[in-house]
Amino acid sequence: MRQVLTILWDSYRLLAAKKLFWIVLFLTVLIAMMYASIGFTPQGISMLFGAYEINNDIIVEGSMFADYFYMMIFTNYLVPWWLGLFALVLALISVCPVFPDFLKTGSIDVAISKPISRQLLFLVKYLGSLLFVAVQVLVFCVIVFIAHGMRLGAWNFEIFWAVPLLTLVFSLIYSVAVLVAVLTKSTLFSLLVALLVWAVTLSVQWTESLMYKAAYVMPASGISIDVGRGNASKTNQELDANADIVGFYDIVRKAAIPFPKTRDLTYLLKKKVSVRGNDMTMMSAFLADEASASDVREAKATEDYDNRHSTAYIVGSSLGFEVFILGIACWVFVRKDF
Amino acid sequence: MSDVVIDIADARKRYRGGVEALRGVSLQVPKGGIFGLLGPNGAGKSTLVKILMSIVHPNHCAGTMLGAPIGHKPTLAQVGYLPEHARFPEYLRGGEVIRYVAGLSGISRAEACVKTEQLLEMVGMQDWGKQKMGTYSKGMKQRIGLAQALANDPEIVFLDEPTDGVDPKGRLEMRHVLMRMREEGRTVFINSHLLGELEMICDSVAIMDKGEIVQQGTIAQLTEKSRRYELITRGSMSEGLVQRLKEKGFQIRHEMGQDFMIVYESDPEPIQPILDALRGEGVTIVELRELRQSLEELFMESVGAGGVGGSRKGSTPPSLPRKEAIK
Ligand SMILES: Nc1ncnc2c1ncn2[C@@H]1O[C@H](COP(=O)(O)OP(=O)(O)OP(=O)(O)O)[C@@H](O)[C@H]1O
Ligand SMILES: [Mg+2]
Repeated sequence: MRQVLTILWDSYRLLAAKKLFWIVLFLTVLIAMMYASIGFTPQGISMLFGAYEINNDIIVEGSMFADYFYMMIFTNYLVPWWLGLFALVLALISVCPVFPDFLKTGSIDVAISKPISRQLLFLVKYLGSLLFVAVQVLVFCVIVFIAHGMRLGAWNFEIFWAVPLLTLVFSLIYSVAVLVAVLTKSTLFSLLVALLVWAVTLSVQWTESLMYKAAYVMPASGISIDVGRGNASKTNQELDANADIVGFYDIVRKAAIPFPKTRDLTYLLKKKVSVRGNDMTMMSAFLADEASASDVREAKATEDYDNRHSTAYIVGSSLGFEVFILGIACWVFVRKDF
Repeated sequence: MSDVVIDIADARKRYRGGVEALRGVSLQVPKGGIFGLLGPNGAGKSTLVKILMSIVHPNHCAGTMLGAPIGHKPTLAQVGYLPEHARFPEYLRGGEVIRYVAGLSGISRAEACVKTEQLLEMVGMQDWGKQKMGTYSKGMKQRIGLAQALANDPEIVFLDEPTDGVDPKGRLEMRHVLMRMREEGRTVFINSHLLGELEMICDSVAIMDKGEIVQQGTIAQLTEKSRRYELITRGSMSEGLVQRLKEKGFQIRHEMGQDFMIVYESDPEPIQPILDALRGEGVTIVELRELRQSLEELFMESVGAGGVGGSRKGSTPPSLPRKEAIK
């Protein structure tokens, strides 16, 4: 235990010595404060602590829509785009050298010659590097949590689901960087390969989600696409799903199984946090009373889209990927002569 | 058994790429002494130590260290190690490096803090313990390297070229630290090229070349066979005596009014009749002294063998120690 704590303490010192960590943390706090500056008045939305006001009929102080809107900014924009993408790239850049440096001759010798198994050493060092992201997301979530509590009176602990989810997303990409680092000891190479794998997994997931929309969401909303003429038309009727597109979607869905679900995991937060008893994927629950039948149908289609994968599938296939990659990396690390 | 702390039998290592670093090394290290492992570059010294430290997997290695099989991780809690080209995290302070290593060995935090202060003082870094490693000079890093190797109160400490970059004062201090460890009954294992330094402190040495141990024993044992006596006399000897001595194979030189006579005998007994004969002729005996090979000569003799053939003929007289040659 003492040894594990020592390795983690070293990881923390390493992290605190990185300038990029503090820069990203500063940006994270800045963005979280911007978010916290959004408030609701009887007339609509106020921004930058009341410096700007936007009038709105339904998103007003005390309404369910305000609650939904506020949480939606967090789950649909800040988490996927800042925490789940830009901050993660910066985190990857600054954490990437950790393993190559650790593996250098003269430095690895000190750690390996201690009464601690190589497997444990590897695992704790890996987990220690995830602190970078975990701390960033935690700080962000604390500010968001307080903002929700103060603005809406809702002390919603589900917000903190973002910490394990985003740390898991980062760990998926980072495991690839670690594998390459163990094989080559090269920082640059491991960063490049990790970014490449990330780009591939993102495009696979984007393709899958777009294909799903084309196959199911659009017909349900009455949108039809004429691929030959290259235009789209919208009717008020629900259309039948196009068999070709559905067939193609099935292929993409199957091809996506072995890939880590970085994007889907980020959006899993929508299922984990709820506003007034309904999680963020339950679109139909947040419709206005006077919503039309087609509005309800579209909401239902979006709901199906958000729930098209089970949590078990998203988490399971991602963990499968991670265990596989880390398993190889650990195996190489244990057998290597340093 | 109890007085051998490291007992290696037939250690073999072939690196990927085909370099045969160890070809069947067997080595015993006695408890409570300073042991030196010598050898030219690439002999396999570091590889041997790395096998003991479980950093390198041997192709074959039987034997024990502190009574446990080699490669047994928990035993390493009683072992300290300063690697070759040691590199410590630049973001840690000197004192923190020592605490980090102590923590990895499972020493409690409170104990590690006390130990850190003692060790910093021991290596003369007490005023620098709060500075980051990144700001240290090479020798200062190496001093911290020695301190961290002692962080867990080890039974055996392995030092792979510990004096690399350390100034003469630091080396002297390092020798004192090592001698203190020996007094405490601990074992010190040093890899080094600096023969003069090893000669000063090592109780026993092994010489390694091309992955094999070529000589092993205490320095006294190893230099025993080169033991010889030198006799310095003043006053003239009769032609007959000179002739007789030369026939017996003694070397006689004449320099600055003195005769230098070298007798190859490891035993002083046979010299006595010569002394009588010299005294009988009225020759003044200025000095009778024992000469031995230095470690450096022993080293050169042991490892030079592979190069030019025939240099290891048993009867070949060892060269004179340098100081005599200079006179
Ligand atoms: N990781 C490695 N991979 C491949 N070959 C290696 C490795 N480490 C050492 N060697 C080879 O093994 C041989 C012995 O190396 P080692 O470092 O043990 O020598 P050494 O006696 O410590 O030399 P030096 O005095 O220069 O430190 C050398 O020929 C070296 O090239
Ligand atoms: Mg070496």
